Amino acid sequence: MQSTAERAEEAPPPLAGATRAWPRHWPLLLLGAALLPGAALFLFGRWAEAPAMQAWRTVALAVTVQAMPFLLLGTALSGAINAFVPASVFQRLLPKRPALAVPVAGAAGVVLPGCECASVPVANSLIGRGVTPAAAFAFLLSAPAVNPIVLTATAIAFPGDPAMVLARLLASLAAASVMGWLWLLLGKEEWLRPAVRHTGHRHGHSRWAEFRSGFQHDFLHAGGFLVVGAMAAATFNVAVPRSVLDTFADSPWLSVLFLAALAVVLAVCSEADAFVAASLSGFSPVARLTFMVVGPMVDLKLIALQAGTFGRAFAFRFSAATAVVAVLASALVGGILL
Amino acid sequence: MRRPLQAALLALSGLGLLHTALFTDQFLRYVKEGMRPLLIASGVVLLALGLAEAWTSYREIRRTADGEHDENDDGHGEHDELGGHDGHGEHDTHGEHGGHGEHSTPRVAWLLFLPALSLLFYAPPALGSYTAAREATKVVSEQEEFEPLPATSPLPITLSDFTRRVQQDERQYIKGRTVLMTGFVTPADDGDGGWYLTRLMLSCCAADAQSVKVRIHGGEPPKADTWVSVTGSWHSGGGGSLGTDSAEVALDARTVKRIDRPSNGYTDSLPLTAP
Repeated sequence: MQSTAERAEEAPPPLAGATRAWPRHWPLLLLGAALLPGAALFLFGRWAEAPAMQAWRTVALAVTVQAMPFLLLGTALSGAINAFVPASVFQRLLPKRPALAVPVAGAAGVVLPGCECASVPVANSLIGRGVTPAAAFAFLLSAPAVNPIVLTATAIAFPGDPAMVLARLLASLAAASVMGWLWLLLGKEEWLRPAVRHTGHRHGHSRWAEFRSGFQHDFLHAGGFLVVGAMAAATFNVAVPRSVLDTFADSPWLSVLFLAALAVVLAVCSEADAFVAASLSGFSPVARLTFMVVGPMVDLKLIALQAGTFGRAFAFRFSAATAVVAVLASALVGGILL
Repeated sequence: MRRPLQAALLALSGLGLLHTALFTDQFLRYVKEGMRPLLIASGVVLLALGLAEAWTSYREIRRTADGEHDENDDGHGEHDELGGHDGHGEHDTHGEHGGHGEHSTPRVAWLLFLPALSLLFYAPPALGSYTAAREATKVVSEQEEFEPLPATSPLPITLSDFTRRVQQDERQYIKGRTVLMTGFVTPADDGDGGWYLTRLMLSCCAADAQSVKVRIHGGEPPKADTWVSVTGSWHSGGGGSLGTDSAEVALDARTVKRIDRPSNGYTDSLPLTAP
């Protein structure tokens, strides 16, 4: 799979390659660092100073900055799982039958305190360590919604309404488990990109070096997709004024679907979405529950992250199915509890 | 992406975070105060990763230059693989085929330069009147019992508290009182030259900003986004009776003074400056 260009690059003897390596990159780098901001200032000029453009830049940067620590946590955890945790640990912890492993993995999401950006790399490294994909996906979907930080935030956002917290927990677990089982029934391995980069710890290799390179690789990889997602979310945030919401608030079914769609495009992190949901006071409790169940499972930055990690063929099918399942789960649970 | 570039990207991202959260308080334009330790820690980790990457690739180049190039010669292996497979990142990773060589980095990682450089050199300003005019108004919380207001005049009060006093306090303690509020200017779009004293508040980051607004009557409207301190009393001309939802949250301004933007603008805090 090596192109001729690469061969050509590798062809020079080590000595020549080494002496050229630094001078070849560093000037480019310095030039880029010096020119890029200047060029950006020059090119965007007034245009970038328009209020809409400034708001867009602020929101895109805010989503990125907010997610960065959690993405680092997730990629560090995934690097650590890969380098330090033997595969047998997961085989012992999870039930042998995949159908049972799915809800167990979903409930295990309680232990990952963070927002959704952290769970994608962790789920990926779980698959790399031999966990059945169905269970890893249940974990991926439930972890951002059911961890203690998010549930506490929900309780604070809806004071005096513990049913909302319970409904969120149950609906998220249900949707995550159903998606895991759906994957067992209908999922096809070929949708997943064939990249099992992580081979776990290999004999004779430094665990720390493996940890560092896995961590770094995952972070650069997922970070790029985070930026894509943040820019998409900022575009919707600026282009769609929140006042159009009121148009949909009256019809019960439309409002559920509309808030589900809003959760997807706004890409608010799961620790904050409860406060946003609480502010959507014109909407029914079921619609607001839908917002909080769909948001951590499907949103623009998550789709971008999943496309980068698992492949596009997977991300689009999986996100579409998850959105449907999450809406149904929250309508059902919300209908009973709220 | 080549290794020195990866090192630079990581280090720049780390420096960007440190610049915004440690050396300045620009991070308050984007996220809440509580994120500061997390951002600083992330910046340190990224900077360390970048330096480690630069150091190992430097050592590797030194080693190959010394003629010791050999697969797995030192039990590290990783470095040799990195050298050998590095070029893949540029070629193999269109679309679905990432992760070919163990350390290929997809092109999308280049996008990380945008937030890093933006944080360092071209930080966008905090959200202002453009957002406030478009976003939904924050719903102030319900309050049952209201204490009598202190006798100070003018009375410093937050925009949320003023809203609650006007719309929920049946005993009308706010009636006839001169209050002092600070916020930024959002022009009203109904064409009669009025404006709103505004605060934006965050739940998590700037993507979920919500506004609280008080309509100001009287006086020339200052320029949009100016931070001002306003004294005045409740504007009764809007119809609706004080202490109910029908009351307009509005102020007859007596004085309007320009003030500096507070460093943490995304809060609805009490005005500190005397009028």
